[in-house]
Amino acid sequence: MPAAESHRPLVLTPTEDIRGFLTLHLGRTALFIVTCTSVLAVFLIFLFVIREALPFLAKFSIKEFLTSTSWYPEAVTPKFGSLAIIVGSGYVTIVSIIFAVPVGILAAVFLSDIVSMKIRNIIKPIIEILAAIPSGAFGFFAVLVLAPWMQQKFGFSTGTNALNASLVLAVMALPTIISVSEDSISAVGRELREASYGCGATRMETIFKVVIPAAHSGIIAAIVLGMMRAIGETMVVWMASGNATQIPQPWWDLSQSVRTLTATIAGDMGETEKGSPHYRALFAAGLLLLVITLCLNLVSEYFLIRAKKAGGKR
Amino acid sequence: MRPVIRIAIDKIFTVVAGASVVCLCLVLAGLLGPMLWRGGSAVVFKGTVEFRKMQLMLFGRGDEEKIAAESKQAEISRAKIYSTIEKLKGGVDSEALIDKARQIYRQFGNDLRQTDKPAEEVAELRLVTKQIRDRLESAFASSNTAEVNESLAYILSFKDDQRFKNTTAAGLIGLAEQYSKDVHGINLAERQKYYQELRQVEEILIELLGPAPGSATPALMMNRFGATRWDLAQKLFNRLFWYEEWVKQGPEQPLVRRLTPRSQRFAGTEIEGLFIYIQQSLPEMLKPRPTFYWQYFIDDSTPGHYFGGVGPEILGTLLLTLLAMLFVVPFGVISAAYLVECASDNLAIRIIRMSINTLAGVPSIVFGLFGLAFFVLFFLPMFGAPSKGCILAASLTLAVLTLPVMIRASEEAIRAVPQTYKEASLALGASRFRTFVKVTLPAALPGILTGIILSLSRVAGETAPVLFTGAVALGPLPKSIFDPTRTLSYGSYDMAVGDKLAAMVPHNQFGMVVTLVLLILCLNTAAIIIRSRVFRKLAGH
Amino acid sequence: MTEMRLLQSARGEHGRTVKQKRIEPIMKENMRENIQQNGQTAQCACPIISSNDFSFYYGTTMGVKNITMNINPCSVTAIIGPSGCGKSTFIRSINRMNDLIPGVRTEGKLVVDGQNIYDKRVNLVNLRQQVGMVFQKPNPFPKSIFDNVAYGPRLQGITNRTALDEIIGKSLKASALWEEMKDNLKKSALALSGGQQQRLCIARALATRPRVLLMDEPCSALDPLATGKIEDLISQLKDNYTIVIVTHNMQQAARVSEMTAFFCLGELIEYDVTSKIFENPFNKKTEDYITGRFG
Repeated sequence: MPAAESHRPLVLTPTEDIRGFLTLHLGRTALFIVTCTSVLAVFLIFLFVIREALPFLAKFSIKEFLTSTSWYPEAVTPKFGSLAIIVGSGYVTIVSIIFAVPVGILAAVFLSDIVSMKIRNIIKPIIEILAAIPSGAFGFFAVLVLAPWMQQKFGFSTGTNALNASLVLAVMALPTIISVSEDSISAVGRELREASYGCGATRMETIFKVVIPAAHSGIIAAIVLGMMRAIGETMVVWMASGNATQIPQPWWDLSQSVRTLTATIAGDMGETEKGSPHYRALFAAGLLLLVITLCLNLVSEYFLIRAKKAGGKR
Repeated sequence: MRPVIRIAIDKIFTVVAGASVVCLCLVLAGLLGPMLWRGGSAVVFKGTVEFRKMQLMLFGRGDEEKIAAESKQAEISRAKIYSTIEKLKGGVDSEALIDKARQIYRQFGNDLRQTDKPAEEVAELRLVTKQIRDRLESAFASSNTAEVNESLAYILSFKDDQRFKNTTAAGLIGLAEQYSKDVHGINLAERQKYYQELRQVEEILIELLGPAPGSATPALMMNRFGATRWDLAQKLFNRLFWYEEWVKQGPEQPLVRRLTPRSQRFAGTEIEGLFIYIQQSLPEMLKPRPTFYWQYFIDDSTPGHYFGGVGPEILGTLLLTLLAMLFVVPFGVISAAYLVECASDNLAIRIIRMSINTLAGVPSIVFGLFGLAFFVLFFLPMFGAPSKGCILAASLTLAVLTLPVMIRASEEAIRAVPQTYKEASLALGASRFRTFVKVTLPAALPGILTGIILSLSRVAGETAPVLFTGAVALGPLPKSIFDPTRTLSYGSYDMAVGDKLAAMVPHNQFGMVVTLVLLILCLNTAAIIIRSRVFRKLAGH
Repeated sequence: MTEMRLLQSARGEHGRTVKQKRIEPIMKENMRENIQQNGQTAQCACPIISSNDFSFYYGTTMGVKNITMNINPCSVTAIIGPSGCGKSTFIRSINRMNDLIPGVRTEGKLVVDGQNIYDKRVNLVNLRQQVGMVFQKPNPFPKSIFDNVAYGPRLQGITNRTALDEIIGKSLKASALWEEMKDNLKKSALALSGGQQQRLCIARALATRPRVLLMDEPCSALDPLATGKIEDLISQLKDNYTIVIVTHNMQQAARVSEMTAFFCLGELIEYDVTSKIFENPFNKKTEDYITGRFG
């Protein structure tokens, strides 16, 4: 077989040179523009939510919006005090996190430090499936299964209450918490564990005194991500929380109904007239939600980067 | 601390940690188990003859002759119920009887006007008939047995009167005769009570067996058929057989439910035995048969999902998700390709990465608001389309929502392609673009496919973003992408909280949500399997 | 073509300023004499690859420095040396595979076929078709055997089925795979054994009709039997192709090559006829390495 039958010059002709230059730069620019869609999307989301909310913020007092508890959007002189709703959102989120964090971290520790690879490979898909179940199905379960059961078992006046919503939210936040914190716990090096075992510590002591402190950034990020999932969740709280605009009295009484930002938007938007103050107030609530999740997102990213750096050092 | 205690605590900790995982699995089982079980009964159940009639009428399914024969058989065993009830009704339904008597009297009056008999005779006849009618009415209305018997005896004394032979007025006497038979054995003092109870029985019977033969076809589709399912039939039968009342236990105490056999309430009448008869011949009257109703997934439903399936919902969900994928996949893959192959670490890239993270954290309801404000109220009118929620707006919203999922999955997949593939291709003289299209992309395809499937499942399950942008609970099938559509996710929400009617058909409630869950679980399982196979392949390589 | 532009911009200014440093260490002087005395066969009038004081840097770390050597057409040249000595870096520079790594730069000249390939206006696509490469680990694409070999010809625009069949037949025959593979060309290349995969990679490289074939430790991932087959293949191919092979296996270098270069710490220590290097090395370091005293 003869080598190199055709003549292939090693030097570019001027046309090839220019064409190559153009395709490279045009191609790269085109790809870059496509990649910028995400930026555009974020920009448009902020722009349009703010645009719809702005007339409300200009007309009504923001202070009242954030501090008053009287929410009478359809009254003759409408009142938009969303404090009870904001508190409701925070309430179910915090309660659900209180339920979810111990279970989540224990499960993460169990998966990373206690069981064998084989069992881990069985449990991981289960967690993934739990994460995949749509929120509508969770809400359905909360309303049609959990609520009647609670009402019967504990004699609550209503089955759709803060406890119901928080429990279901906790289950929904669990997969996030488990997978993120398990990642960071697994990233803690073997050397640290061995050093601790070498000093005669038991497994529990190693985990609590060495592993978890070393992985704390990742665990905090996991908790924040779980909170984001809970606070942004709509269907479950709408269906399971009872939607009563009130701050629970006394504050620890979980059997009372509450109302959240997401549920208010979802529930009221269908009935408002486009452009009415109520409609704009709902967009203001959406904006508030957006700002809260953005802050949480920044916090989680900060801790994730710290966790990554800590992992890199080891 | 003593070592023994420390080891014991350690053991306890292990158990507790294990328990947390077990608890997680139990939650999943407790969540899916009842839903799957009850939802499955929307497809696999014992269908009655009413179900087959409904299928024939609504969807034109089944053998017409066979079903007609079957329902005829059923009708035969049902006939006894209707005749028995009719009989009791003859005894207790005073108003209907009085109406009948008055009608006959009026008819007789008309007849008299047209006869050629002398005026005096006519006047006398009219008087006598009026007396008979009045006595009959009082007999119908009275609750005193002696009084009734006396009135009836008076009327029956005219039985052989030649004047009434072959006239309409003979009907009055006939009525009296029938009535004297019917009231035999009925405690007339409780006539009103019987009447009320009978109405209840009739109502339940309509639900159980469908409208009584000979009555007009009801306007609502849901009232046109009896119990289509054996489990529903049994529930209705229990309501028929047992009389439910709430009894006061004492002051300040909650009411307690008490069940008594309904037959007791008809003690002494012929109906008393009817309940046992119904119990015995219920299978004959409804002819339950195991049914696999796979058409549940393609059938349209009657309003309130009383009959039929979730076809339009599945169609709508698929339309929305596939359209969203059509938008998001090119953008997602190209963005991922750029981020992996071309991007260096500069400010622009950092902004892009931050945007992707932000986008992933935006709550789904805010996407709904954005879709409403941007796509529905701004974007569609810009192109002259009507400014209302529609499939296009909803799928665009969903596409934006799932963009970060798609980018991350594709990026991971493209990164996982071994560098050696790229080197081999470049060494053969392929350009960088060619290398990506011909080598990197095919090798990353399973990973990208996993990403697509995961995004699909995410999109299919989302409710909040489509609430204001294109989902409806009721409505016709969409004709174009500018029409709103029903979806599984919104439908499950609506059936869980919105509709009173839905609570009457729990199998359809659960059927809807189970269809959604199954769709998503299938997608996820497929993704998990593809991914594990890819990993095995890459590891073995 | 696109890529080449990118690479040039990444390379920056350094590539163009060819610094002809005249540092002539004694060792090098000696070496040159040595070649002049003994390497009459080695020094041909028109070398196909000619490295003239070529240096290669990864950022600030040096890969290889001041390499000066000529490689004759249709010969087998082995490059040996301890690990980390820059022999892989050098061989990958010959078809500019190192350009994939960000922040690299070069000094001096590396001439292939009369053209300095680090010139700004080099057609990288043609260069890499001219100078094929076989890598350390067999890296067939996850495609069928046919598609693997057809990859290069298709890039050159050959889509005619009969033409493709002919090229693939020739390449597979040349890499001694034809007899084993001719009946199942549609089989996935990943299902082959390691040795077969590596021969497939050679066939794939041959299908682009190169003049030079670079082999970067082609047998390091293979068992002795497969290695033997590859070595046989190399001796068959040298009639038509110029082969440069990097190896850490000295027996292999002795078996297959006509010329051998010994690299150490990024420098070319000795370059001579293979028998001379192995029997009577000029340099002490070479001798130490060959006799196994270090490396």
